Amino acid sequence: MVNKIEREFSVEESLSVLNPYVREWFTKNFAELTPPQKYAFKLIAEKKNVLIASPTGTGKTMSGFLSILSALFEKSLEGKLEEKIYCIYVSPLKSLNNDVYRNLTRPLEGIYELIRASKGKEIITGNIRNVTIGVRTGDTTQQERRKMLSKPPNILVTTPESLAILVSSSKFVENMRGIEYIVIDEIHELASNKRGAHLSLSVERLQEISKKKFIRVGLGATLHPIEEAAYYLVGTEEGKTRPCTIVDTSMVKKMEVIAISPVKDMIYTKEEKIEDEVYKEIDRIVSASSTTLIFTNTRSGTERVVFNMKKRLKYKPEEIAAHHSSLSRESRLEVEGLLKQGALKCVVSSTSLELGVDIGTIDNVIQLGSPKSVSRAIQRIGRAGHTYNAVAKGEVIVLNRDDMVECSVMLDAALHKHLDSFSVSRNPLDVLAQHIVGMSIDRKWEIKEMYNLVRRAYPFSTLTMEDFLSMVDYLAGNYAGLESRRVYGKIWYDKETGMIGKRGMFIRPIYMLNVGTIPDEVSIGVFEISSKKWVGNIEEEFLSRLEKGDIFCLGGKLHMFDHATGTKCYVSPAASNTPTIPPWFSEQLPLSYELAERIGDFRHNLSKELERMNQDEAKSVVSSKSQIKIPEGAQSILDAMPINANARIAIAKYLTEQLLFAGAVPTNKLILIEYTRDDKSESDILIFHSIFGRRINDTLSRLIAINLGVILGQDISIAINDNGFVISPEEDTEIDEETIQQLIRKVVNSDMEAVLRGNIRNTEMMRRRFRHVASRSFMILRNYMGRRMPVNRQQISARMLMKAVEEIDPDFPVLRETYREIFEEVMDIKRTKELISRIKEGSVEYKFIETVSPSPFSHTILTFGHADVVLMKDRNDYLRYLHGLVLKRIGVKQHASKSKKAKRERK
Amino acid sequence: MLGKDVELIEGKPIAYIRSIKAFVLSDIHLGYEAHSARNGVLVPKVNLAYMKKMLKDAKAGREVHMLIITGDIKNDFSSVETEELNEIMELVEFAALEGLKVILIKGNHDNFIDRYKESLRIEICSESKEIDGYVFFHGDSVPKIKGRPKMLVMGHEHPSISIISPAGRKESVKCFLSGKYKGTRLLVMPAASYFAGNSSVIHAEKMMSQIFRVVDVESMHAIAFGYGATMDFGTVKTLRLADRRATAARL
Repeated sequence: MVNKIEREFSVEESLSVLNPYVREWFTKNFAELTPPQKYAFKLIAEKKNVLIASPTGTGKTMSGFLSILSALFEKSLEGKLEEKIYCIYVSPLKSLNNDVYRNLTRPLEGIYELIRASKGKEIITGNIRNVTIGVRTGDTTQQERRKMLSKPPNILVTTPESLAILVSSSKFVENMRGIEYIVIDEIHELASNKRGAHLSLSVERLQEISKKKFIRVGLGATLHPIEEAAYYLVGTEEGKTRPCTIVDTSMVKKMEVIAISPVKDMIYTKEEKIEDEVYKEIDRIVSASSTTLIFTNTRSGTERVVFNMKKRLKYKPEEIAAHHSSLSRESRLEVEGLLKQGALKCVVSSTSLELGVDIGTIDNVIQLGSPKSVSRAIQRIGRAGHTYNAVAKGEVIVLNRDDMVECSVMLDAALHKHLDSFSVSRNPLDVLAQHIVGMSIDRKWEIKEMYNLVRRAYPFSTLTMEDFLSMVDYLAGNYAGLESRRVYGKIWYDKETGMIGKRGMFIRPIYMLNVGTIPDEVSIGVFEISSKKWVGNIEEEFLSRLEKGDIFCLGGKLHMFDHATGTKCYVSPAASNTPTIPPWFSEQLPLSYELAERIGDFRHNLSKELERMNQDEAKSVVSSKSQIKIPEGAQSILDAMPINANARIAIAKYLTEQLLFAGAVPTNKLILIEYTRDDKSESDILIFHSIFGRRINDTLSRLIAINLGVILGQDISIAINDNGFVISPEEDTEIDEETIQQLIRKVVNSDMEAVLRGNIRNTEMMRRRFRHVASRSFMILRNYMGRRMPVNRQQISARMLMKAVEEIDPDFPVLRETYREIFEEVMDIKRTKELISRIKEGSVEYKFIETVSPSPFSHTILTFGHADVVLMKDRNDYLRYLHGLVLKRIGVKQHASKSKKAKRERK
Repeated sequence: MLGKDVELIEGKPIAYIRSIKAFVLSDIHLGYEAHSARNGVLVPKVNLAYMKKMLKDAKAGREVHMLIITGDIKNDFSSVETEELNEIMELVEFAALEGLKVILIKGNHDNFIDRYKESLRIEICSESKEIDGYVFFHGDSVPKIKGRPKMLVMGHEHPSISIISPAGRKESVKCFLSGKYKGTRLLVMPAASYFAGNSSVIHAEKMMSQIFRVVDVESMHAIAFGYGATMDFGTVKTLRLADRRATAARL
């Protein structure tokens, strides 16, 4: 049973549950209870599982911990506090671990001091000891680990990965049999992904090891639906959800937010001018506050902003700093320290400061460009404001036209508390593989017993026995011949007795060294070939796509790729002004579905009002330099938005211009299909304006491209974006309304999953994801026999592996998991299916238009696309198709009949 | 160009020489999976089964008594691994059942294989082998050619071609190379191995085999196979020209 508690307890009720010393320490140090504390102290003291959702800076950690400390000191006062672990705290970030360690050491010392003062000699005679705390992460030294083994702390602070190792350490496990509490922090960062699924199994294994049922406390920020997070926290027992009480004070913090357009017109203003105005805005806000936190959406963006603030706005190096995950740990810690001292005027971050790391007081948050989700916007802006009852002030500065509409709608949703939803990663088989191995190392199991344990973790609560057994079979090496099981098998499984256990002595180190879900990625330094000057970093995956002569954009400039050595890549300045390789967007987060839906809705409502204008009125709106006159309905829609005056004008102009140019604004009820000519590539393209977010567009665009490829008999390249996608057929291909109708008919009637499966197997994404899944499933051992496999070796290996696995079984579990991950976590097959059935029944319409040049709504789709190639589905004639390309290029007319004749002759 | 006596089996890396009733196969690299597993990549075994199936399919309807392997039957340079030996044994047994006598011309990966000459009961030649005017060798070095052979057949090079589609994707297919060495017909075999890495003759700055110090690779025809078909793609020179044009068109 999961229930939400609505009424808070009184201060007296809350404090009465605490041990007198703990209570004394608390009231001495804090003037009042924060909202989550008013619920949590009592609930946790009553030994209930509790999920607490509350913004950073609302005393969340203390709300989760104080009753636990109280219970531990009770034991101590009775002289019964042993040298063993009573409480485990898990957070996804090492830096958070250090914060929590510091933040708990203070109360522990304070409380013990009070006890010592009051008890005197009894401290020794009564064996009243202080509660101890220790940190165990990947950074913990061997010596500290040994010490921890013989003298375990009462509270162990750790990461999901370290916990997975600890539950399989035969000696350390003895220290954990008496666990009474587990605290999982930043649950919103874990519940939705494989890392969280991995943790959930570690927790169930821990429950199996420990003698009694422990209390589960979850801490997190804004999250929707919050019940789902509660299910994740507590898991199930005998098929039923364990009890959990939800404390939701995530909306206590008041927000004052505004979307700022730096200029009145986002279409005709030159990019340099927009950039100038953006920095002026930043300067205005930063100089008016004592400390400002600026969020960008990418690490490269962070670097660029810091660079420009120093160069253009003359900020001194000691006033401003960058903080992102590519920086070294030391420099990040230094920045955090400076922030706490209030020594910085401004800090720029990508995602690394979004989580609850302690950074002192922030006056103001600036967000540059859309953070792509309402929850993330709330989380980021929530970092501003001294205390939980202060108002969080945030400004979102928009960078382009689509950004502008997006940010406006997002802030409006944030103020109305309309959050985007998350979902738990269900039944990831690669994560399961690691734990099956881990459990087999611990002891022999009866297969059913292991299966039941796995199903207690919520992410695996629907796992079928069939899937489970397929993983067991795989791990037992049953795909290899009997004589090679020794090499391929990690476990043995005896079908007769139903028992399962580890195989060989090497499997323990393999598990310990390769456990975890975060794949290896390496960043490659890019250098100017003549000056050897550093230009920036690209991802290794991106490098693998580059060939000599390719032109790509980095740090706002174009570079021509020359060659690469190891982890360095050399380029020269590009003479051309169009990149041949599109920018790599893996860094950028996809727009959430809910937000996309709301943007579509907003566009629909506003365009309906703007359509009331006649041609002349509309033209005057577009051409006006200052004030504009639009219908009253439209004006009132815009007036209700949390945006500045510039943004109101710019949005109205943007939609009006689209109406004038294309006769329609794409909405969540109308997909606009624009057939136009791209001047840059000098080719005809199809632009699908489909405002459904990147995950749906990723799915939909492939379905469209595959089916169009079948109609036209060619490879099709695509570029995907949150707001739509571009389809580029070969030159000299004629497309008309009839083609499109035929195409849509094909798409709505196709077997989506089968079509996509056949197609994505040849993509870069598939290769990359397969590598990740294969290494998570211990098929590629990143760390083996004392060697670390470099990423490029992993890539080559993964390629061979994929070929081989497909040859032996197209439904091999590791392949199946790769497809599942792509369908459910990269794409959104479920919602795409819903969309397609809406297209079929007509509640979502499509309209085909031809334009001489791309319409205003096309421009950002064309500039920021994530590209891929969809191959011809029918590959029987593929060799002939390739040959045809060669002949065409050297100017020879094709004689298709010739090869047919040759074939006949051979027969 | 290859003459009537030599047939390239449709869609496969096998050459059939009618007059001597022989299949030629090159660069099989048995034992690759075991080698890979020792390095922590548990590639399931597929190569051997793939070879067997390929040979069986190719044999249907043809009279074949000999299997000539132009080098690199195995993968490991430094020794003969147990897994390798097992797989080689299995292939030889399979060949015997199919009525094929195996002749191996040693490649640079085939070190120490002579030790098993007796137990394997196959003919192992260290430099080259001449049968009825056909000279077979691996290709890491060029043997002395006596007289006027009908054709030279070698492996080692692992040739392939890669073609950029208008959509910007590079598509690689393995190929044979056919041309002339000092006036004599020369056939370079593709790597048969399921796993072999291939080098694109279009983009290679330098060919691996010594023979290309004499032979101009641009004059050779690339005969590609894959997707169930085999097709002459014209000379490497033409392919390079087409590739330059395709690249220029993208810039």
